[in-house]
Amino acid sequence: MSECFEPNEPTGKPASGNPITRLLGSLVFALTVVLLLALACIAGTLIPQGSQVESYLAQPGDHPVLGVLTALGLTRIFYSWWFVGLLFALAASLLVCTRLRYRAMKRVTGSSRLRVMGSFITHVSLLLILSGGVVRVIWGQKGMIQFHAGQVVDRAESPEGELVFPFSIRLVKFDLEFHTNAMASKETPSDRLLVLWPEKELVAHYPIELNVERSVVAANAPAGTSPAFRVKVLRYVPDFTFDGATGEVKSRSDVPNNPAVQVEVIGGAGTNTQWVFSRFPDFGSHAGAGADMPLKFRFQTAPPEERRMQGPIKAFKSTVEVIENGVVADTRTIAVNSPLSRGGFTFYQTSYNPDDLSWSALQVVRDPGVPVVYAGFALMMVGLTLVFCIAPWLGEQTRMTGELR
Amino acid sequence: MTTILSMTTLFNASLAVYFCAMVCAVTGLISRKMLFDRVANALIVAGVSIQTLYLGVRWVEAGRAPFSNMFESLVLFGWTVAVVYLLLRIRTKLPWLAAAAAALSALVLAHASTFESDIRPLMPALQSNWLSFHVMTCFLGYGAFAISALASIGFLVVSRQNSTVASDTRQSLEMIVVQTISFGFLFLTLGILTGAVWANSAWGTYWSWDPKETWSLITWFVYAAFLHFKFMRGWRGRRAAWISILGFISVLFTYYGVNFLLSGLHSYAKQ
Repeated sequence: MSECFEPNEPTGKPASGNPITRLLGSLVFALTVVLLLALACIAGTLIPQGSQVESYLAQPGDHPVLGVLTALGLTRIFYSWWFVGLLFALAASLLVCTRLRYRAMKRVTGSSRLRVMGSFITHVSLLLILSGGVVRVIWGQKGMIQFHAGQVVDRAESPEGELVFPFSIRLVKFDLEFHTNAMASKETPSDRLLVLWPEKELVAHYPIELNVERSVVAANAPAGTSPAFRVKVLRYVPDFTFDGATGEVKSRSDVPNNPAVQVEVIGGAGTNTQWVFSRFPDFGSHAGAGADMPLKFRFQTAPPEERRMQGPIKAFKSTVEVIENGVVADTRTIAVNSPLSRGGFTFYQTSYNPDDLSWSALQVVRDPGVPVVYAGFALMMVGLTLVFCIAPWLGEQTRMTGELR
Repeated sequence: MTTILSMTTLFNASLAVYFCAMVCAVTGLISRKMLFDRVANALIVAGVSIQTLYLGVRWVEAGRAPFSNMFESLVLFGWTVAVVYLLLRIRTKLPWLAAAAAALSALVLAHASTFESDIRPLMPALQSNWLSFHVMTCFLGYGAFAISALASIGFLVVSRQNSTVASDTRQSLEMIVVQTISFGFLFLTLGILTGAVWANSAWGTYWSWDPKETWSLITWFVYAAFLHFKFMRGWRGRRAAWISILGFISVLFTYYGVNFLLSGLHSYAKQ
């Protein structure tokens, strides 16, 4: 069995002690573990994993190969006992090699010492990163919050149970922003119909699409509940005018001087229609509507220049209030790449519902291993810089000085 | 429109200059005249300068780092190959490596021209200061690994010859392979770590076994093995050259194979 340190590496004495330490400290053992991990990683990228399997199984037909792979545990490779075992074997090997490097560091001088020190620090950093991963697995928590504007939550759902925060958060609003970029690939009308249901704290946003029926469901309704209302846009006129003689609605021109949509609502007391005006949001004419119509409508139109330029989604963000002891302690906007950290929990903007823009989904993570992992990252760069930059440079300086003498 | 035209001109000019550098270097190899080698290197410097200008103009025009899709990353890859070659050239003079590096940069740019070059707005996840740092460090690593693979191929060819010149060349090539892999390993590591920090700030997890992450780890394993074999076991010659080539095959799969064959968090990269 070859040893961890060979004579060409100026690090000194080979691994000694009991056979297990010698085995763990050998280069052959370390590289065998690395080879097995690499092969497992290759398999993990070629064989569908986790949720990908569910997507395949949801497709019609039999999936005998996938069934066999699942039975063999090859569809959850990165979380299998043997893969985790390989990571522990790697950690054990790193631990022994780190100890040997520490001993060797004391025996060498000059640039060689820096190189061994760099190698030692790099191996310590790998151990720290793996330790951070273990901390995450044991003490880390991850959950999801899905809430509507106005809703207050103090816990998140997770497969392991609920994550309860020492504070509450309230979704003030959700914003979806589009690129207003001339280079956007296609024009997308940005006019939207807002459906408000104040009693249920519901605000839904829909794009203006004629005769497309939208279901309006209360935020707290159980899953599978029939929609309370169905809403559709019957007609759009850019420049609303009413012909008193004929009783007809017409458009004075194609210019959006007075844009309006005719909305049909089915549900509640029956079917009714109403005109909703972009410029006169509080003015509505009901035809056959009951006075107790709980839904309110707003017709939002984008400025003409924005309408021409609107492109793909630029950002989606939630404005939230952090409530502690019944008092608003902080107001923050959470966006992708801009999470909110508080009380050991970090809230990430992960999703939204294009059909209901009052709805937002946040991922909540509590990972006490992150500082350990980041310390490992920093140490790794220090170690590698010592090995590949500083030690060779110092060695060269020493050689040049020797040659000059 | 004027800027787009000038960007196209700069792109085409850099491609043409790299191609001329390759022709000059090959002519120098055949005629054994150092003048051609000098001209080839001057052309590679010109190519890098034009490409740097191109990247700068595109950066300003886009209002962000131009490293977000297949076209932009290929342009960056061609640039890093030439830059790493020039860094090596300061100390080592190998005319055929100039030809190989210029040919690779030209080939990569020619391939880039088959992709859509429009500047597109960034999706929310890519709107981060980490974008430029993560992609730049990864591609400096890829560029170094590309040069190490070229040097390894050269070594395998030269190692069959028995002459004093061949022996000197072999030594130079071995040194280049070790230097470029050391440089590439440092930057690949930095690229993986910055990607992990970015992923944690965007999605709350620094590692999710996404195919790109996993393949970058596989590549890291291969080069870590190379460095251990080299420094612990004193591996040299053809064995080391083959591991270097294996490492670059892994780089190609990490960069290219994952984008087109596997789906994951980096799926935007193939656009």
